[in-house]
Amino acid sequence: MMDTKIQAFFADKQDLLSEILERYPDYGQRSAVMPLLRAVQDAERHVSELRIKEIADILGISATAVKGVMSFYSTYHEQPVGKYHIQICSTLSCSLAGSDEMYDYLANELDLVNGETDKDGQFSLQKVECLGSCTTAPVLQINDDYYENVGKKRCKHLVDSMRENKLEKPWRERKGDHEGAEKAKPLQKTALKGVS
Amino acid sequence: MKVKVNGIELELAPGTSAIDAVFAAGSDVPYFCSHEYMSPVGSCRMCLAKIGAPRKDRATGNWVLDEETGEPQIFWFPNPMATCTTAIMEGMVIETEAEEAVKAQRGMVEMTLINHPLDCPICDKGGACELQDRAYEYGEGISRFEFDKRHQEKHHQLSELITLDRERCIHCKRCIRFFEEVPGDEVLDFIERGGHTYIATVEEGLESNFTGNITDLCPVGALLDRTSRFKGRNWEYEHTITSSLDDASGSAIVLDSRTGRLERIKAELNTQVNKLWIDDSTRFGYEYVNSSERIKTPLIRKGDNLEAASWQEVSEFIADKLAKLAQKEAAIVLRADSTLEEGYAAKNLAKILETGQIDHYPRQLASVIPNNSASLNDLASSDAIFVIGDVSQNVPIVDLRIKDALKGVAPPEMFEHGVPIADLRLKERMIRKKEILTVAAPYNVDLMRHAGQAHIYEANSEEAIFKALTKIANGEDSSVAAMSNEQAEALVKRLNEANNAIIIYDGFSLASPAAAIAARNFANAVGAKEIILGQMANSYGLEAIQVLPSHERYGYAEIMQGSAKALIISELNPANNSQYAQNLKELELLVVHSIFENETTALADVVLPAKSGYEKQGTIVNLEGRLLEVNAAPIDAGQAQDFEFLAASIIAALGKEGKEDLASLAHKAIRKQFGVDSKKLDPEGDLKPLKPRANNKAKLHIQSTNIGNALIVPTMLRLEYIDKNPHLLAERGAAKLTMNSIDADANGLKNAEIVSLDVAGIKRSFSVQIKDSVPAGLWLIPALPEQAIGLLELDRASLKKELEPA
Repeated sequence: MMDTKIQAFFADKQDLLSEILERYPDYGQRSAVMPLLRAVQDAERHVSELRIKEIADILGISATAVKGVMSFYSTYHEQPVGKYHIQICSTLSCSLAGSDEMYDYLANELDLVNGETDKDGQFSLQKVECLGSCTTAPVLQINDDYYENVGKKRCKHLVDSMRENKLEKPWRERKGDHEGAEKAKPLQKTALKGVS
Repeated sequence: MKVKVNGIELELAPGTSAIDAVFAAGSDVPYFCSHEYMSPVGSCRMCLAKIGAPRKDRATGNWVLDEETGEPQIFWFPNPMATCTTAIMEGMVIETEAEEAVKAQRGMVEMTLINHPLDCPICDKGGACELQDRAYEYGEGISRFEFDKRHQEKHHQLSELITLDRERCIHCKRCIRFFEEVPGDEVLDFIERGGHTYIATVEEGLESNFTGNITDLCPVGALLDRTSRFKGRNWEYEHTITSSLDDASGSAIVLDSRTGRLERIKAELNTQVNKLWIDDSTRFGYEYVNSSERIKTPLIRKGDNLEAASWQEVSEFIADKLAKLAQKEAAIVLRADSTLEEGYAAKNLAKILETGQIDHYPRQLASVIPNNSASLNDLASSDAIFVIGDVSQNVPIVDLRIKDALKGVAPPEMFEHGVPIADLRLKERMIRKKEILTVAAPYNVDLMRHAGQAHIYEANSEEAIFKALTKIANGEDSSVAAMSNEQAEALVKRLNEANNAIIIYDGFSLASPAAAIAARNFANAVGAKEIILGQMANSYGLEAIQVLPSHERYGYAEIMQGSAKALIISELNPANNSQYAQNLKELELLVVHSIFENETTALADVVLPAKSGYEKQGTIVNLEGRLLEVNAAPIDAGQAQDFEFLAASIIAALGKEGKEDLASLAHKAIRKQFGVDSKKLDPEGDLKPLKPRANNKAKLHIQSTNIGNALIVPTMLRLEYIDKNPHLLAERGAAKLTMNSIDADANGLKNAEIVSLDVAGIKRSFSVQIKDSVPAGLWLIPALPEQAIGLLELDRASLKKELEPA
């Protein structure tokens, strides 16, 4: 039975709910399990058993089936992750570029080990597999954003800014320019010469 | 379609899977995930073969020919293919013995064994394990994997009935697919992924009536039956194939016994009845036969005590007493799961005793045999089904066969090697045609979750509903209780227009002959076949051979109310009813044939040890009218005997033996009545359409009581034995008294509170279950064999609280 003290997540989000459900045909309503899980994860930083049950009831499937989908993806969490969920790529390129040292540094600095969240719910530290940005190794993913070419100095800078709740927007690395996101350059005629 | 398997040419129907082509050619290929009656998914990658096919030229539409031979050129698929998910094509060539195929199969065995513990010597599956066999047949024998195996939980209790060893699991997904595809209860799933994958449920326990089947279909020793765990090795068991007497389906089962004890029940294939599935009551409800409390010798009353005696001694005692009676003074009552042979024996004994007071119970007023009977395979291919009653509790297998129909896939054609191993018509998460199923019942029944239309009607309005629907079918205006006019008209139209419409009803409709007639009339009006759910395994057979009171005069109720001076009763406990106990005390002779001591044996002059349904040899008729063989497993039951032996002993002691013994009389009578040789029955049973008995005119107008505040409802559990089935009891709990929260509040009752209650004379104990889907004012009480289902007036003042919930 649902705990009446905690309001159902989608109770006051009927518009969102119907928008999600309308994406799928009647016979495929269960496909909505992914966006529903995502909505809960984004808002609550985890998907609790209560929410699993709520999603199952919405879709008319068993909680086990929802849990099966949820547990397949490493991006859904059973326990709340911190406000800053730091994911360190630990696959080959990043590892060669020093992600292990970065992990040691962060683990020391934040007093956390892989998979842990601190008491205040500020930081979570997690080693993840390839983030697909090998050219800019080592890479950190903080919540949904990539921070590339993270050396010790930048790492320290990031930690400090997160501690002050002033995390900068991610930069893009090409020519040492870390002023905002990288903009697409207009096509230049000279570049096309060789192609034609 | 022509295909070639390992050089053998075959002609097979389109849609056949490559794995079935391989088996049809008499070859073999290993597999773990494919399973008869479930969708092929190709998850174990074990059934690999080298496969190729000819190709047509797009421009000309002609076969591309091999330049050397002039034959169509075979284009080989670049990789070995899983034969279970590959459909055959014209001219396909399948090679399971090609070098690539053999190498791939060996590789897969090695890979599957990477994380599988080699604890076969202590594994319950050892000796009957698909992985063990296949590794032996197709494996290399050595492994290149030199690291630690994955370690996971070895004793994860999924429920009181099933234990999961997560290390042994090879992720074939059979159990997960079973729950989704067969009963439609998605209670298991893979959690996590890759090497971390394990099987689990979030729900409490496994909420399904069919959980035990996953222990049969697990290809390794990961899912194990807790009732038999660590009890014996597979090669030590005596395997007895028989028909279950647990319910009216007569499902095929295998009894695994050892050193005189029944240690395990598994499902057996009967393509016509239960396919490969059985419900949990059929599987786990056997432990009582091994109970130390069983009566093992005949007992005779000496003063206040019952003392052990021999069959000879007690037979002579009984004969003496019976000889002193006038005709019509003796009565015989059998339980409705007695075999045909026992039924004939009872009839012969009644004839010798010159009495018409003979009956079987539980039995309803109306005939349980339909006029136009549908088989279970008819049901599985039906395109319009109307259920009125509770199928899932009455005969759970019928519930599963209805779910087959919802998939819209007719029972498969058989191959010489049996049921198709991979039926490509079956898919995971098929869209179910719910709209073909309408379910109506006096309370919320399980099948309603799967129905297009579900209606909860006021108890005892079956007659009115059938009559109103018949009127609509005949083009008259009428309104049907609990249905809107559109719904009723749509239902009638659907049944009318269907090619294979089926109406299913149960004891609620049989409780009054008028309702049963109305049901039959409605079936005729819409041209539907019928399935009637009898309360017990041989309700059909015993009625067909007329183990019935002459002229419907002195039946079970009248006998218990004192119409006889002597009573021989088999496996029923009428003295649990205080209204009958006094009459039973006054009998000149009470002979009780029973497995356990109970209120009735306490009053008996003679108690005779009875055989359980697993120890008898005989024949039953299931709810389709199918004659099925019942075989005896070697179980140590002391001097227990069936009713045929009991009757023969008494007849011998009376000195009334005829030229032929009862067994050969029964054999002849079955041949005469059903036209089959009961010693040479088809292993899947012989279907013999039966005719219903005529309604007794005197009783035609008897209505089951129209008022009542409680409904005796069918239950798949055998409550008379549940106390002696510890595992099933632990999982299912004590008998439930189910009511609406309004009633619970009015009586100050809480969920799981233990109460006692006088149910029309029978003092019973229940655990309260509060369900708001039950109509307010109606209490639901699961049936005992001494109480046929239907409405009754309960003295609610007799309710006593025994134990507060923990």
